[in-house]
Amino acid sequence: MAQVPVQTIHRDPQLFYWILFPITIVMILTGVLRHYASVLMQSAPKKLDQKSIREQRSLLHGINVRSNFHTLSKKSFATRRDALVTAFESGAYLKDPERAGGGQPNPLSDPSSMEGMMGMMKNQMAMIIPNTLIMSWINAFFSGYVIMKLPFPLTIKFKSMLQAGVMTKDMDPRWMSSISWYFLCIFGLQSVFNFLLGSDNAASQMAQQMGGMGGAPAQMFGPGVDPDKQFKAEAENLAVIEHYSVLDNVEDRLLEGISV
Amino acid sequence: MAPSLLYNPAKLPPSAALQLAQQAPIVLQQSLSGTETVDQWATYENLLLSCLRTGDDEAAAKCMDRLEERFGADNERVMALRGLLSEAQAENNGELEAVLKQYDAILEGNNTNIPITKRRIALLRSMGRVSDAASALVQFLDFSPTDAEAWSELSDLYFSQGLYSQAIYALEEVLLLSPNAWNIHARLGELQYMAATTSGNGGGSQQKYLAEALKRFARSIELCDDYLRGYYGLKLVTTRLLKEQAKQAKTDEGEFTLPEPRTIQRLDELATAKLSEIVRHSSLKDRGWRGYDEREVAAARELLSQNGIER
Amino acid sequence: MTWISKTITVFGGLLLAHACYSAQEHAALQSFKAAATSTLTSSTPAASSLPVDIAIETIVATLITVLGLVLGTRPLRPIQWRVWAGKIEREGEEGFLGNNGEVEKDYMGNPFSYLESRPSFVDIRKQRKEFSQWVKNGGSQGKN
Repeated sequence: MAQVPVQTIHRDPQLFYWILFPITIVMILTGVLRHYASVLMQSAPKKLDQKSIREQRSLLHGINVRSNFHTLSKKSFATRRDALVTAFESGAYLKDPERAGGGQPNPLSDPSSMEGMMGMMKNQMAMIIPNTLIMSWINAFFSGYVIMKLPFPLTIKFKSMLQAGVMTKDMDPRWMSSISWYFLCIFGLQSVFNFLLGSDNAASQMAQQMGGMGGAPAQMFGPGVDPDKQFKAEAENLAVIEHYSVLDNVEDRLLEGISV
Repeated sequence: MAPSLLYNPAKLPPSAALQLAQQAPIVLQQSLSGTETVDQWATYENLLLSCLRTGDDEAAAKCMDRLEERFGADNERVMALRGLLSEAQAENNGELEAVLKQYDAILEGNNTNIPITKRRIALLRSMGRVSDAASALVQFLDFSPTDAEAWSELSDLYFSQGLYSQAIYALEEVLLLSPNAWNIHARLGELQYMAATTSGNGGGSQQKYLAEALKRFARSIELCDDYLRGYYGLKLVTTRLLKEQAKQAKTDEGEFTLPEPRTIQRLDELATAKLSEIVRHSSLKDRGWRGYDEREVAAARELLSQNGIER
Repeated sequence: MTWISKTITVFGGLLLAHACYSAQEHAALQSFKAAATSTLTSSTPAASSLPVDIAIETIVATLITVLGLVLGTRPLRPIQWRVWAGKIEREGEEGFLGNNGEVEKDYMGNPFSYLESRPSFVDIRKQRKEFSQWVKNGGSQGKN
């Protein structure tokens, strides 16, 4: 075992107080701020009107019939299948039946999908803006600082991650630069936030629970998907099912499987 | 064991409901400060229901206020609870009509308010306007066909009017949504059995119902070991089939057919053996056999003794 | 049952700590020796490996700790649907007691019972009437 001479770098202990702590505290504070900002900006999930709920749930109903057909007898399945296939193919469940077969709607002209995209944009922005700001702040003031030594050895692979901004080839990967500390904070502070803000942001979860139980379902048709096509596809799926039932021979299975 | 406030109290016996409602002062004393938990609000909701049932309107109103304070009066579920409160406190038909008008007004503004829609249907049924309730329910299921609870309610509604085939259809929809619900399989078996009882003697339709009832009960047992309700139903059906010794009637294509008489005989033996085992264990209060409902066990005992006499 | 598992776990932990301490002491002693010898003779000392008793102690301590932890786990749940369902029906709450003797938090009885009780459609007026009837009858019927 070749002894590598232990590298010692004499650091000003003040580095610790004036760089490490400020970065950490700023990161935590922005995280908390971001949480409250996103709570404030969160728009209530858009209410669907009755027709679109009907459209979505009817398709879901079709899927349910398709996947659980085996609980029915052949006759009652056949009646359901016939009814659903005719309704699906004629577009009886569509939000606006005239548009059936009219091709794809333009996702940008649909105000409801616009809103969904705006919500996503907002979230993204709340993430990107503070991060850019902090990173440029760190780069401007503390670039290239070696601020701490990790208490455990690391392999050379970690060098590019931990010593970003420090162009020294031979330095032990245990030394860490300020920008690397920033990255570590981004990924490592999640549990701190959970501790500070309650696990998984309790406030929003609770509101969901109260509103839940068949409240607003997830949007089934993303923007740019033609519901008519989905209905047609589902009708086809239903039509090709070869029926069997769990009730076939259930008594034989029972007699075989259960002994008194 | 004391019932917990965390579960919906709809099915509890009156004594348990009273026990729950008596916890009201303790729960209401706790202040709202501190971190909230999911359980806390479920507790308030269930406490509200229990208090309403036992007639403790004051405590119920307090629970309501807290829920409203937290979630706002325009939350759909809170609206439904508020409606429930005024339903319970209505003294005469006129006040009930007023509540109904209120529901209608809410639905006028927002016809996707599912909890209120359900309350309205329940109120209609409670006021005796069953056909109105049924048509409202059918309308509701047209735009929300994936609501298992509503299908189950529809089935019960039709059943109360004696419309068995419709009730069976609605219950089959419930099964499509939750295919492994053993109690629904048993319930469907019960419906088929009752349909067979009322559909007159002999004939293919009766046998069809009995055959499917047999299979439904068998399936419910297959899904749940030692299911008392399933074995009870199985025993009923097999006893009846053995007594009638019916010839295999012609059935339509795609219907279930009765199994061989020998199989029925064996199923009957199995059901008898299992039922007596369950009854024996649970009357001795053996460890691990105390979960059954006492009334169900008593009914099973009665069924067994009846058969013992007949044999 | 729980105190057994706890004692075993603690014992295993102590043993593990002891093994760690021994290893640390051993390493310290070795390096001290090396430093002492290197000043006298320039020959490099053979890097001596850890004594076998420390290694054995570590392994045994780990096994004991694992044993204690395994003993302290909650009873396993049935994973077959029908066994699980049967357990709910047959044993009720008693089948789902945790180590502390209370019903486990995630136990909810038959998860499909709401399909029959239908809480959203509850007829509160009928329930009230039934309850007052029950009180009038002395309130003892159906008490179990």
